[in-house]
Amino acid sequence: MPVVDIDTDELRGLTGRTDTSDEEFTEDLFGLGLEFEGETDDGLLQFEFAPDRLDRLSVEGVARSLRYHYGDDRGVYVPETNDPEWTIEVDESVPDERPYVTGAVVRGVDLDEGALDSLIQLQEKLHATMGRGRAKGAIGIHDLAMVKGAPLQEGAEPSITYRGVDPDGDTFVPLDANDELTPNEVLAEHATGQTYADLVADLDRYPAIYDELGLFSFPPVINGKRTEVTTGSRELFVELTGTDQWTIDRMCNIVCYALSARGATIEEVEVNYADGATHPSEYGAELVRPNFDTDEKAVGHDRIETLLGVDFEPEEVVDCFERAGLDASYTLDEDVTYEVEIPPYRVDVLHPLDLVDDVGRAYGFDNLEPRYPDVGTVGGRHERSRLEDAVRTSLVGLGFEDLLNFHMTSGTENYDRMNLEAGTDAFGGGDAVEITEPYSEEYTQLRTWAVPSLLMLLERNTHNAYPQDVAEVGFAAGRDETQDTNVAERRHVAGAVARRDASYEAAKGRLKAVCDDFGADLETPRTEHPSFIDGRTAAVVIDGEEVGVIGEIHPAVLVEHDLEVPVAAFEFHLDALR
Amino acid sequence: MRLPERQLAVLEAASATDERTIDEIAAETGLKPETVTGAAFDLRDEGLLSVVETAAETLDLTDEGRRYVDDALPETRLYRAGLAVGADESPVSMGRVIGEADLDGPEVDIALSNFARKGFGSIDSGELTADPDADPGADPEAAALAALADGDDPAVDEAVLDQLDSRGLVDRGESVTRSVTLTDDGVDALMMGVEATETVAQVTPELLASGEWRDVEFSEYNVEADAPAARGGRKHVLRRTADRVKDVLVGMGFQEMEGPHADSDFWINDCLFMPQDHPARTHWDRFALDVPPMEGIPDELMARVEAAHRDGWGLDGDGYHSPWSQDFAREVALRGHTTSLSMRYLSGIAGAELEPPQRYFSVEKVYRNDTLDPTHLLEFFQIEGWVMAEDLSVRDLMGTFEEFYRQFGITDIRFKPHYNPYTEPSFELFGEHPETGEEIEIGNSGVFREEVTGPLGVDCDVMAWGLALERLAMLTTGAEDIRDLHGTLADIEFLRDAEVSY
Repeated sequence: MPVVDIDTDELRGLTGRTDTSDEEFTEDLFGLGLEFEGETDDGLLQFEFAPDRLDRLSVEGVARSLRYHYGDDRGVYVPETNDPEWTIEVDESVPDERPYVTGAVVRGVDLDEGALDSLIQLQEKLHATMGRGRAKGAIGIHDLAMVKGAPLQEGAEPSITYRGVDPDGDTFVPLDANDELTPNEVLAEHATGQTYADLVADLDRYPAIYDELGLFSFPPVINGKRTEVTTGSRELFVELTGTDQWTIDRMCNIVCYALSARGATIEEVEVNYADGATHPSEYGAELVRPNFDTDEKAVGHDRIETLLGVDFEPEEVVDCFERAGLDASYTLDEDVTYEVEIPPYRVDVLHPLDLVDDVGRAYGFDNLEPRYPDVGTVGGRHERSRLEDAVRTSLVGLGFEDLLNFHMTSGTENYDRMNLEAGTDAFGGGDAVEITEPYSEEYTQLRTWAVPSLLMLLERNTHNAYPQDVAEVGFAAGRDETQDTNVAERRHVAGAVARRDASYEAAKGRLKAVCDDFGADLETPRTEHPSFIDGRTAAVVIDGEEVGVIGEIHPAVLVEHDLEVPVAAFEFHLDALR
Repeated sequence: MRLPERQLAVLEAASATDERTIDEIAAETGLKPETVTGAAFDLRDEGLLSVVETAAETLDLTDEGRRYVDDALPETRLYRAGLAVGADESPVSMGRVIGEADLDGPEVDIALSNFARKGFGSIDSGELTADPDADPGADPEAAALAALADGDDPAVDEAVLDQLDSRGLVDRGESVTRSVTLTDDGVDALMMGVEATETVAQVTPELLASGEWRDVEFSEYNVEADAPAARGGRKHVLRRTADRVKDVLVGMGFQEMEGPHADSDFWINDCLFMPQDHPARTHWDRFALDVPPMEGIPDELMARVEAAHRDGWGLDGDGYHSPWSQDFAREVALRGHTTSLSMRYLSGIAGAELEPPQRYFSVEKVYRNDTLDPTHLLEFFQIEGWVMAEDLSVRDLMGTFEEFYRQFGITDIRFKPHYNPYTEPSFELFGEHPETGEEIEIGNSGVFREEVTGPLGVDCDVMAWGLALERLAMLTTGAEDIRDLHGTLADIEFLRDAEVSY
């Protein structure tokens, strides 16, 4: 979950609540769903929250939410914007994989260290969340004074150009570097370039932003040093590129709202997608950004009442909406419906139900009185779950310790250390379902049988007292393309007797007892299995069907598992006892 | 007269004139010395035997003493080293002599203090002089150690022994030797003739059948002695916790669900309105399986779910601005939550189309790619439950969960507003640990979004919650490392010793 670092002095300034203590803020923020996590080395308080309200990824956004919470602000707020002077031209050379761009000009900024840190934090947190690690959207913020906009035509507005660049073509000096580098050199040599190289490495042309002086930004990897933002910057050019126009537009809105909260003025920019450049089908080729248009959704009074379980007057609901930073109007008909206006920094309102949640939060979920639902239903266990449980009870009655082992294992454990070959007919020898790109060598496949798990456990417990009689009723799986999921999932019953006098007879006696409990007829015709001693191995045949194996574990397998006592074991399909 | 067999044997082996030790009698009768001792005391109590106890000092070398027998005493080694470097002619620096003697650690102090005491020489201003006339070979302490090592009972001077004792080179102990002689009554009894009564250790079928049990004595036990613990099998502690949860839920009217562990991403995530580019759906968080994609998903259902993702659900619904593909939806992976089962049941594919009201649950395994540590496993059990009814409210959700957790002694639940892609409103549940009083997260809950229920064909409310079973189990068993409980790393002793909860 995202974490936002908050300087509480900044928070006091931005909320205007100079007397509020850190503890009071922490308590109020818990009510908003931000949970105190700890403190940074620099003394900032860290709050974790669910990734819906991404507009709270900066102290400015958190302060805005608190102002609504305290009732200091009400309703939808949309900052004034000035008309565009600048244009972002989108060239047809832009790589198809990252076609979209948006942006804004911000004037009159006054960034002290704290404000600059907050802006950088917001940028990085948005990259990590909405931007999906910069793949979906990446933000570049530049000192406008250092951008030189060349009009494409006489008398046109100043502009920058989003275009594609030959990876080994033009050079620029990236942030945190001193040398002119080509984009490919950035990916190879620059630390940030190495981190984000995967995002562009496969492209024929790399995304790039140019002004009159040339290449100055290489999204989504790194900005150029020339336009670096400092505490001395007074005017900013914000640009975002990505794979989805809506996503980068919303990210842009969140950044603009944060800067506006510090007194800056937002100025629109035009975005012109050239003929031949991919433009967002839902908005057209010529855009004006940032887009601060509000959304509207309708939600019925009944739905709010039934979902929250509270009777409301319409005025109360409107009050809740306004305290949530929304505006609502309604007409007093038989069925009251609210037309709700939603500000452009909200990215989480996908459905009218999300508005009911906002009403609930503003009303205070803590104020709801729990009630047990007056709905009668009949409870019961699943048949398989009852069967498993009954077999477990039988095994425990026979003195077995009931085990719970992992379903994931490795080929080494499942086959090799059992002296078994994959893809054979022996019990457990079928092909395993493999995990693609496994995370660890120990967990690369689903187990095909459970006796290996029992032996692994015995191996771990050689320091403990014997006898160790262990059993498991558990899951095993194999490849099976006749199944819907292409995986055959089975429950197996497995038992092992590990003691000085463990013998085939000891295992069979117990197996017989389990079968008797379930009225099942057991036969044990001789068979061969590489995990067991020849001549002391039998197939488990229950009610005439071969469903498992029983025998004394082969000494080679025992030694492989560092065991110094004999082990006799059995395993069969649970279904045979049905 | 009748005596138990062992007592009779001891009585017959004893003499009226010579004291005989327990060991001698044991050797003669073939009984164990402790048996003879027990019988002798019983006979003494009968007045047939007298028992005399003689205490004797025992002397044993300590480990340190034994080492000096092999290596010579440190002061002797120091003296010999002194001779080797010529300290008998002129003083030599102490460091050099110690080095030559190869002494280190506490041995250095031991050597220096005894060197002077035994007159092997003198130490002055850090220099050592060895007395050429001293003779460590005649050292009585060394001689005593050697004699003890040989097992001889040394006729050693008491002062030398005290010295060795104070140096910690010998252990002085005491042993008691018991000797018995027949009393006059004992002699008389023997002369009159004693027969053995049978003392019986065990009730046998023969004894019961023959009625002989009436004529025998049963040997006495030390009933306070420890007995080896009997070990039966036990149901796994997590299973027992799961049983408890199942009991509670069945009692609250919930039916148990079941379904595949390996399932398509469609059922695991897409039905839950999890965008396909959600971080939890990346390679690192899930276990994708190398089997062909799942074909058996109803086309209409697939289309409705896709529509919800792309365009939203209902008149004012918006979709995600994320890529979506059927190919991804059909990929097969291990389920990351058992909510996939809830989706199958709600869709009707797991059985009958469900009409409200319904309550369902499962306590089943889920798989998450996480780092193994004391509180995280790659496989764990999720408790999943849901209630389907017309017009369910957040208050019903709160009331249901309060009731559930109350069964486990957890009261005063706090509902923290939360966000899940699949529920709205959503709450994290916090409760007070019944023992530590700590506020802990005990579950995640909410009302399924219409983007979830709508495509499944459900047009009433469904509220759901989930939590890890291990979390409850750790609270109830006190386990601090989840790996002690679950998996092939489990410690069998821990499982055997875990207290039964009920």
